[in-house]
Amino acid sequence: MRTRGTPGVPPGGLHDPAVIELDGVGFEYASGGRRTVAVDGISLRVARGGSVAFVGASGCGKSTLLKLIAGLVPATRGTVRVDGRAVTAPLKNAGMAFQNPVLLPWRSVRDNLFLPLEVLRENGDPRAGDRRRWEQRAADLLRTVGLTGVEDRQPRELSGGMRQRVSLCRALIHEPELLLLDEPFAALDAFTREEMWELHQALRGRREFTTVLVTHDLREALVLADTIHVMASGPGRIAHVHPVPMPAPRTLADAYGAEATELIRAMRAEIRPVGAGS
Amino acid sequence: MSAGLLRRVGLPLAVFAAGVVVWEAAVALLGIQQIVLPRPSGVAVTFVQTAGPIAHHARYTLMTTLIGFGVAVGLGLLLGFAIGAFSVCHDALYPLLVGFNSIPKAAVVPLLVMWFGIGTVPAVLTAFLLAFFPVAVNVALGLATMEAELRDVLRALGASRWQIFRKVGVPRTMPLFFASLKVAVSSAFVGSVISETVASNAGIGYLMAVAASDFNTRLAFCGLLVLAVMGVALYGLFAAIERRLTGWAYAESP
Repeated sequence: MRTRGTPGVPPGGLHDPAVIELDGVGFEYASGGRRTVAVDGISLRVARGGSVAFVGASGCGKSTLLKLIAGLVPATRGTVRVDGRAVTAPLKNAGMAFQNPVLLPWRSVRDNLFLPLEVLRENGDPRAGDRRRWEQRAADLLRTVGLTGVEDRQPRELSGGMRQRVSLCRALIHEPELLLLDEPFAALDAFTREEMWELHQALRGRREFTTVLVTHDLREALVLADTIHVMASGPGRIAHVHPVPMPAPRTLADAYGAEATELIRAMRAEIRPVGAGS
Repeated sequence: MSAGLLRRVGLPLAVFAAGVVVWEAAVALLGIQQIVLPRPSGVAVTFVQTAGPIAHHARYTLMTTLIGFGVAVGLGLLLGFAIGAFSVCHDALYPLLVGFNSIPKAAVVPLLVMWFGIGTVPAVLTAFLLAFFPVAVNVALGLATMEAELRDVLRALGASRWQIFRKVGVPRTMPLFFASLKVAVSSAFVGSVISETVASNAGIGYLMAVAASDFNTRLAFCGLLVLAVMGVALYGLFAAIERRLTGWAYAESP
């Protein structure tokens, strides 16, 4: 599907820098004869190159929201637009990473990174680029995440943190417009997780992509995102929106500073009000 | 020969040899009649004397086994992929497959004989019927257990179902497929021997039936030995292929 429009003018118009637009988006599904509303009434905009996080208790629909943006599930209410186009099918070149790195164990690191490029090339997407450049792109990304020279290693030879870095590189190798992260670092130890935060900041500085992050970790949200949406459940909806006061790129000093701690305290109270029990 | 190989091959052979020695001594010392339990040395003599016919029947059994096994692998792959890839196929066919598998295949042989007469066809079909199920089930399982996250990663790239099947589904199913081949080839072997015992003019199963009707216990033991060797060889062959082609699924991390 190609967009109509004036050549040279980005879809969505020159004056609207939003790459993601949600208007009254809801998702409802039937299970066991009963209709369940997973999320409802979500409206928001994410600027090109921006970064947004969804935080909230388990079951508040934040992963569903991510899938709605990716087009992996269709919105049953409202409209999702990416790049000015209504999303009615899965996006064509989003980068995704999950808690589980899901690398292909029968492929080397290099061939794992090439997977998105192979799919794009087979589908005739010019963004796949020239095969000769793939090697260069892989090497560049691996260098950025501190994994120079692991191209020929097998995934099983890597530690959990290294696999997660490769997974992140795979999500970015085709230079996607959207980087969609669902609890990407939840399985890593605290130190590795902090390294991954800094890595994301470094990658943001080098490439143009828009991040959507789903996480339980409020501090992670604060480092990675420019805007944090606190979600409430039953049905999933956005209860509070917090712009992150510190400018990107954010450092660990930002993450553990007084301003951050205050914001985290506020968000925690919103997610689970004091005295509400658990 | 490495220490590991010596242990894996040498040790079972040593135990087998020890068993044969005990057997030989026991038959001699206890004065057991040859018609009940022949001496291993006597079995060996009969084996050498009838090597020609035994080889002929062994070749025949091997042929029916491999034809039945080949058909089972082909159709098992197809059906397994269909069941694993399409939930409609799974819901429609899987219960039938399980029901079919619970029928003892020996009970089907008389029917096959009625339809196809005595000979090669019932043996091949029985081999096929026994070998088919493990292949189909394992292949279906390999596809059905694909990680949802991996599917999402690919779908968000615009990958079609066919692309996901080719790039991820098929390769990740291969270890299970090759593991099922070991089981399937042994099952096929059992199937053709069952059928030959009941309704055939050739094959090790037929040889055993004839030996039994002649009270030729030595020859019956020759048949058993051939079956054991062929079974182990077929299993070993497919185990080796499996490790060679899908080593990534077994290799330990350093």
